[in-house]
Amino acid sequence: MKEIEREISQDRRRFIKKVLGGSIAGSLLLVIPAGAMDFGNIPEQIPGMRKQTGPFIKGKKFAFVVDITRCIGCGSCCVADKNEYKVPDGNYRTWVERYIIDDHDNVYVDSPNGGLNGYQEPREDLPYPVRDTFFVPKLCNMCEHPSCVQVCPVGATFQTEDGFVLIDYKRCVGCGYCVQACPYSVRFINPETHTADKCTWCYHRVRKGLLPACVNVCPVQARKFGDLNDHESEVYKILHQPHVISVLKPGMGNKPSLHYVGLRREVV
Amino acid sequence: MPEYRSKPYSHIVRIVLLLVIIIVAGVVVRGKVLPKSFGEYGHYRGDAIFDEMKRPVRNGTNASCLVCHPYIREMHLNGVHHTVSCEFCHGPVADHVKDGKVIAKLPKKQGKEIRRLCLRCHNQIIRARPKESIKMISMPQHLEEKHVRTDHICNQCHNVHAPLMWVKQAKAMVGVEEDSK
Amino acid sequence: MSPEHGAAVATALTNYVFPNDLHVHWSLMIVLYPYITGIVAGAFIVSSLYHVFHIQSLKPVSRYALVFALAFLAFATAPLLNHLGHPERAMNMMLTPSPTSAMAGFGYIYSAYAIVLILEILFIYRPTLVALKQKASGGMKLLYTILTMGSDNVSREALEIDHKITAFLAAIGIPMACTLHGYVGFIFGGVKANPMWATPLMPVIFLLSASVSGIAGIILSYVIIREKQGKPLDMECIRTLIKFLWGCFILDFVFEMLELFSHAYMATHHWEALHDLYWGPLFWTFWVAQVGIFSVIPFIALGILSLVNLSDKVVKIGGSIISFMILVQVLLMRWNVVIGGQLMSKSERGHAVFHPGFFTKEGIVPSIIIMILPIVFLYLLSKVFPFWLEDDPTVGEQSA
Repeated sequence: MKEIEREISQDRRRFIKKVLGGSIAGSLLLVIPAGAMDFGNIPEQIPGMRKQTGPFIKGKKFAFVVDITRCIGCGSCCVADKNEYKVPDGNYRTWVERYIIDDHDNVYVDSPNGGLNGYQEPREDLPYPVRDTFFVPKLCNMCEHPSCVQVCPVGATFQTEDGFVLIDYKRCVGCGYCVQACPYSVRFINPETHTADKCTWCYHRVRKGLLPACVNVCPVQARKFGDLNDHESEVYKILHQPHVISVLKPGMGNKPSLHYVGLRREVV
Repeated sequence: MPEYRSKPYSHIVRIVLLLVIIIVAGVVVRGKVLPKSFGEYGHYRGDAIFDEMKRPVRNGTNASCLVCHPYIREMHLNGVHHTVSCEFCHGPVADHVKDGKVIAKLPKKQGKEIRRLCLRCHNQIIRARPKESIKMISMPQHLEEKHVRTDHICNQCHNVHAPLMWVKQAKAMVGVEEDSK
Repeated sequence: MSPEHGAAVATALTNYVFPNDLHVHWSLMIVLYPYITGIVAGAFIVSSLYHVFHIQSLKPVSRYALVFALAFLAFATAPLLNHLGHPERAMNMMLTPSPTSAMAGFGYIYSAYAIVLILEILFIYRPTLVALKQKASGGMKLLYTILTMGSDNVSREALEIDHKITAFLAAIGIPMACTLHGYVGFIFGGVKANPMWATPLMPVIFLLSASVSGIAGIILSYVIIREKQGKPLDMECIRTLIKFLWGCFILDFVFEMLELFSHAYMATHHWEALHDLYWGPLFWTFWVAQVGIFSVIPFIALGILSLVNLSDKVVKIGGSIISFMILVQVLLMRWNVVIGGQLMSKSERGHAVFHPGFFTKEGIVPSIIIMILPIVFLYLLSKVFPFWLEDDPTVGEQSA
């Protein structure tokens, strides 16, 4: 162990020499470079977004894909989301569910605190042996025919021309009709603002060319976000492969823009 | 026949007048009170789009951390944890830096907290994790296999920013052949 | 573990509620709002049965029913304002009502209906108010002056015009009362995401139970107020009201049961969740209370009261008790639909629980206060608008 530590301190000296020698690219030194924490200077993850200043995003058709075959239930997405929006406890803009199927075909679903603390323990309370388990992240489905927009009495929730369903927090009266109407239960009444609230696919980040917080932090790329107009993008390729039903509750008629890879019939 | 001060229909005229006044007043008030951008793009306040655009970003990306923490950057980007978000363990950048200045330190996890964080992803017991996504271990079996004392915390062998860095260095230095499982 | 035991445990464990479904958003206030507007609509229908359909036996309560409706209408917005997250923005519903939202209809439907009801009361009572004005002094005189729009004219010509207007208002009042409560039914019936609410029958059920609650409210309050005032009861009127109550209640109960029966018969994939709801959390409030006690018993008793030749005393007491039971039934129906519907999670796999608070913002105490306020207001209105024709100084001079 001591030898390892010696190696590291040697590394450190070598490194600092390189820094002072200026051979490490980028800002640094020991001074925080001016404007580095200005979020405009974080490299764009979605190219071309910062030039757009109009109300609607032009030239891009965003899609969000969740790959159930990759999700490990770590809950990083939930943590990032809660941090980004300071979501009050007990309310969830996104959450992760755990599905357990036993050998009698019973399905057990749970989502302790929405998966915010990850899944630290297996379920011990099941009567029969488990044959299969998987995780399912949930978030706003950004429907093409949103029920929430249809029922809002005052025009406080709306759909932009580029497909984002957003909330006007200054207009919402907090009646809760949209919460009742959403088939996916992604909306809630925020107990601090007393208005409706929901996942917005991090619209404010996307407009700045950043990926949604949950997509950005997922360590295993279970959440993907991209532009369908870019035929090289991962989401384009995924959605143009033949696949079985990839949206939740298709019979509702909402036409979600959120697609799942590996969606299982047990998922509602 | 009694004489009345008002005409037979006076009260109706007055009621109709009152209703008209109420309606006109309503329309006038609405014109004044309604936000200008309402209805610009649809049945909503157009400025609400800009309100949402202006929301401050709280999480950076790893790039926003590593630009000031280059030492970690070297390790992180070359290690197997390069897809792990700094902010998952340490908190959002917005709590750390504002307008180019450090406003607070972000917490560094210690001790048992580190083990809990590691196991959030790597614990095999949960069984729902696809093997293709991530390498999994069980505790305390992992420690027993590596012949390490079972009260060890993960970061005593694994640098949290580059978990295999020390392991690889140790193997290279000491020339140990492990009976791998 | 034995197979049966395992299966029982499995069923008990398969309760999963979406994280955002754990909280019931529409609670007691939203139970009370349709209850109050229902009573308003029903009372108005009682009055219209006389003014439009000329059912003479209802004349004694024809005016009272309107004032009763007004007393409750005045407080119909109270539960809603209490429920809203931002009641100060409530006018947004009048400023920018969304054309696709049933709830957006509230502002204009309520206002229009309030105008019709107030105008009808003012026109029907005008000769009475003019006469009362002459006898009054001070503040009351000013009030009567305002209510009569400053006009003293009760000539034959004026009264004929009034009569036409009253007939018109009573006539359009009926579809407006139906809209006032029918749209509330559609607020629920149009929510496809909720399998209990989403049915075209919902506006019909709400409207019928509104009529029922209004008629029952008139019967019960008529008996109580007249008894308290030491005045005789018009038994013909009460008997007619009971018959109408019975008729409306048959329709109401049949539709309520039909809705559930259709779900059970067709057994689409939603039925399992509905079944677990009705035989689980709602077992006591729905099957035992709403149906067993407060529907079946009145259903039979009303038939007996309507068809069998019974003494006045039996009809009076029986009618009052049954009316009270009907009022409870309608309240239970609102509870089971509004709160029961939300207990079913959209996960289709479980139920939330709901326990109303006592002193919380939307709890039991505010609910009781909100239900008492219309009664207090009714008492105040009785000082301005005499309920009964025998208290009217002008009765006999005008054609009603």
